[in-house]
Amino acid sequence: MDSIIALTGDGFVMCAADMTNARSIVVMKEDMDKIMELDRHRLLCMAGEPGDVAQFTEYVQKNVHLYQLRTGVSQSTRAIANFTRNELAKSLRKNPYSVNLLLGGYDQHDGPEVFYLDYLGTLHKMPFSAQGYCAYFILATLDRYYKPNMSEQEALEVMRKAIDEVRIRFLIKQPDFLIKVVDKNGIRTVSK
Amino acid sequence: MSILEYNGGCVVAMAGKECVAIAADRRLGIQLQTLACDANRVFRMHDKLFLGLTGLMTDITSLHNSFDFKLNMYSMREGRLMSPQTFSSLVASTLYEKRFGPYFSEPVIAGLNKDNTPFLCAMDLLGAAAYADDFVVSGTCAESLFGTCETFYRPDLGPDDLFETISQAMLSALDRDCISGWGVTVHIITPEGVTAKSLKARMD
Amino acid sequence: MGESDYSFSLTTFSPSGKLVQIEYALNAVSAGATSLGIKAKNGVVVATEKRMPSSLMDDSTLQKISLITDNIGMVYSGMGPDSRVLVRKARKQAQAYFRVYHEQIPVSQLVREIASVMQEFTQSGGVRPFGVSLLVAGLDEDGSHLYQVDPSGSYFAWKASAIGKNMVNAKTFLEKRYTDDMELEDAIHTAILTLKEGFEGQITELNIELGVLGESGKFRTLTAAEVKDYLLEIE
Repeated sequence: MDSIIALTGDGFVMCAADMTNARSIVVMKEDMDKIMELDRHRLLCMAGEPGDVAQFTEYVQKNVHLYQLRTGVSQSTRAIANFTRNELAKSLRKNPYSVNLLLGGYDQHDGPEVFYLDYLGTLHKMPFSAQGYCAYFILATLDRYYKPNMSEQEALEVMRKAIDEVRIRFLIKQPDFLIKVVDKNGIRTVSK
Repeated sequence: MSILEYNGGCVVAMAGKECVAIAADRRLGIQLQTLACDANRVFRMHDKLFLGLTGLMTDITSLHNSFDFKLNMYSMREGRLMSPQTFSSLVASTLYEKRFGPYFSEPVIAGLNKDNTPFLCAMDLLGAAAYADDFVVSGTCAESLFGTCETFYRPDLGPDDLFETISQAMLSALDRDCISGWGVTVHIITPEGVTAKSLKARMD
Repeated sequence: MGESDYSFSLTTFSPSGKLVQIEYALNAVSAGATSLGIKAKNGVVVATEKRMPSSLMDDSTLQKISLITDNIGMVYSGMGPDSRVLVRKARKQAQAYFRVYHEQIPVSQLVREIASVMQEFTQSGGVRPFGVSLLVAGLDEDGSHLYQVDPSGSYFAWKASAIGKNMVNAKTFLEKRYTDDMELEDAIHTAILTLKEGFEGQITELNIELGVLGESGKFRTLTAAEVKDYLLEIE
């Protein structure tokens, strides 16, 4: 039931995720951070089976870090996306991970990028995306209001519209959303 | 919904006079929800060999990566480009290797032989190949495509006529299929080079 | 290879930079019966002496020339048992290639595979280099080929070559006789004459073996009767 959203703006990527951690009918906590920081310029929004999510995303984060230590340079967003996809595809027929991800990053050469990654290993680069049931509402809202190269202010407006839509129309109560922004300077939190 | 129809999509290839054309739609969906309208299903293996893959997107990506690797190794080892016939054997054996846990993807191979005669081949997910000298189809609207291709196809068309024919066949079949669509890319392969064109279909 | 005493490579460098085991392997080759090959305009011929240690031996059972695929054949000089291993590997490689690509393996690719096997045995623990040199004759898309593969794993393409006991004299003879536009029939005659040069005793159809790859693209070992006809022709 996780809701995660990511969109690209003018030199930045904005990611939002709900903060609810629920197990069947019970809400465990309302301040969970579902946006993992892979390195200075990459955010990984995670959704899916809680155990798989924690295992897999930490695995990706540590491998990204290891590459950085070994070679002294950071991988590009595209490289990290493909690495993650390969891991998902390899495990699909052995030990599948029930994890859906949105990878958002700012790259020196390619600028802001958002990659959609689902549990099967489907990888697709998109200007904006969402995972989970909320996607039904959010994608439609973003189709209407999103423009390429928006400023942070405009992007925040659009993001608010999308989140409001989820709040109104989605069956499950998800009051709080955490919004993070990544640009060439790094990662900032813009809480909701 | 079967696994092969999960992401949707279709590919068709047609032969003309010393040219081939391969067309694919651009929709990427999760069952009935559309995710993106710019998915790529046709891949250039080399200037005279194109591979179109339908079915599950993750397997399309995995297979494409695998064939790129194998083709590059072959070119480096043997010092020559792989012929379409050899490539189709390679694709078939790669798919059959996974006989009891297959890749959910049905390839279409279109290319020009050394003497510039067209080569067409379509396979099922296990690697059973069917060679044709007129057209081959694959994907969710394969049945419709068979119908439209049979109607529009004429032998020995030049590159421009072939483009028209394949576009019409593709668009007519696509428009009736809800899980394919959102535009078409067409590649026309001739001995002189490759031309890529995009079509706007019913965007729904 | 259980004991750690033998887990190092037996092919170690000498101070002068040579691999002595390989040198000795080449000596083993030079002690073997002569083999030669000639590439003609329209095919390839390979020939070898079948040196039997005793007249009691049944010479029809010794086959030095082996078929690898329909269009590739091989002959050796040196240790017979070592060559059997290589023939086996070569045949398997060729079939594995065909299984994936449904196309006959190009001669140069096969030679490369065999050579890399031979090289492996000069750099692995507890094994010794092969005591054979091979002459590989084949026909593929790029025309006819004749390759020589040595125990070190190096391979060379030749127009005509000889290996084994009498290789120096044989090569000199071939250098004089070889022409670029030789026909296959001429090549066969030249091959027999070259063998005859250094032959100990009387040359007959039972103590030489001839393999021919003609325009049909099929490699074939000639029967004793056919060899006899050629022997009569050169008289």
